[in-house]
Amino acid sequence: MRSERLKGHLDLLLLSVLSRGPGHGYEVITRLRDRSGGTFELPEGTVYPALHRLEEGGLLASAWDVVSGRRRRIYRLTTAGEAALAAESTQWREFSGSVARVLGTPAAVTPWRPGRRAVTA
Amino acid sequence: MSGRTADSPADPIEDYLDRLFVTLSGSPRQVRHTLAEVEAHLRDAAEEGIAAGVAEPEAQAQAVARMGPVSGVTGPVPALARPSLALARRLTLTAALVGGAGFLAIGAAGLVGRILLAAKGAAFLTAPWPAGSYTRADCADWLAGDRGTHSCVAAMLSDHVGDFLLEATAAGLLGLIALAAYLVLRQRWRDRSTLTALPAGTAEALGAVLAGLAAVACLGQAVNTEMIRRGVGAGEPWSLAAAAAVAAIAFALALRRARRRSATA
Repeated sequence: MRSERLKGHLDLLLLSVLSRGPGHGYEVITRLRDRSGGTFELPEGTVYPALHRLEEGGLLASAWDVVSGRRRRIYRLTTAGEAALAAESTQWREFSGSVARVLGTPAAVTPWRPGRRAVTA
Repeated sequence: MSGRTADSPADPIEDYLDRLFVTLSGSPRQVRHTLAEVEAHLRDAAEEGIAAGVAEPEAQAQAVARMGPVSGVTGPVPALARPSLALARRLTLTAALVGGAGFLAIGAAGLVGRILLAAKGAAFLTAPWPAGSYTRADCADWLAGDRGTHSCVAAMLSDHVGDFLLEATAAGLLGLIALAAYLVLRQRWRDRSTLTALPAGTAEALGAVLAGLAAVACLGQAVNTEMIRRGVGAGEPWSLAAAAAVAAIAFALALRRARRRSATA
């Protein structure tokens, strides 16, 4: 998937990835890639400004720790981050459901009958 | 073992971190933290490649390629990091430090002047104007300001000494205000782009040069007055020369400290 398209949803994806447990930057990008089945490929460095922005916004908190002999910054979801993730997830499901209906996924297709005029808004 | 030294320019990860270091904006702590995070990330990614059987240089290059351009890590450049704003802030800090110290030195010259006034009298501090260069009205003004004397020359000297000491005191207060503003602004503008907008020690070098020139000029005037007028009026240039010399020495010492800090950074 094009990274430009992904960037618009990066905050939601990062919050979701970290809702499964704390992790450092490399872990976050690895989980994101694994959970998307390799679909979400973006320049790995772009997660850092997003993580820092989410921390400044109080949705994430971080602490330094030594893991596998290397000093790392471990991010975790805050209570505000959990609430934001729940709200954003709901909005995303509503939005993606609407898009699916407009695009005409099988479940949302209304059979077209000849003689019926299209109604325009 | 790769055989490269730690400073080898051929190390892709080190090269990337160098580029990131000179591009990152924010406080020194933010810069250090981001560098540490990105380095851990790159080393993890390279180790993963090596574990998968990729040669070390190739694994490092792949880790750097996956990280993407440095601009991706820095994110959108905040307004604070604009060079023009950072430079304007740095110049403001420089002007506040050099100007504040200069005015404070003039204030200190006023204190030296008070000592010279007590020790050697008003005629040593300021020279009387030559006869014929002032009017009866000037004389009346000076005498009106100094009820304790009937001598026009004594009243003139008293007036000139008062002016010098008042102006020096005002300059000293202005210097203190400017230096207080410098300290406050320096605390607020601790972002890296402002700190590095001018080479380290620029303000100290500028202050040392300006104060040194002022000290030499005032010293020359004081020596000239001593030789030609036998010391009459030499007190003012002597006091200014002494204060300027102290300021020049203080700036020179600060410059040496700044250069040492810069060399060990």
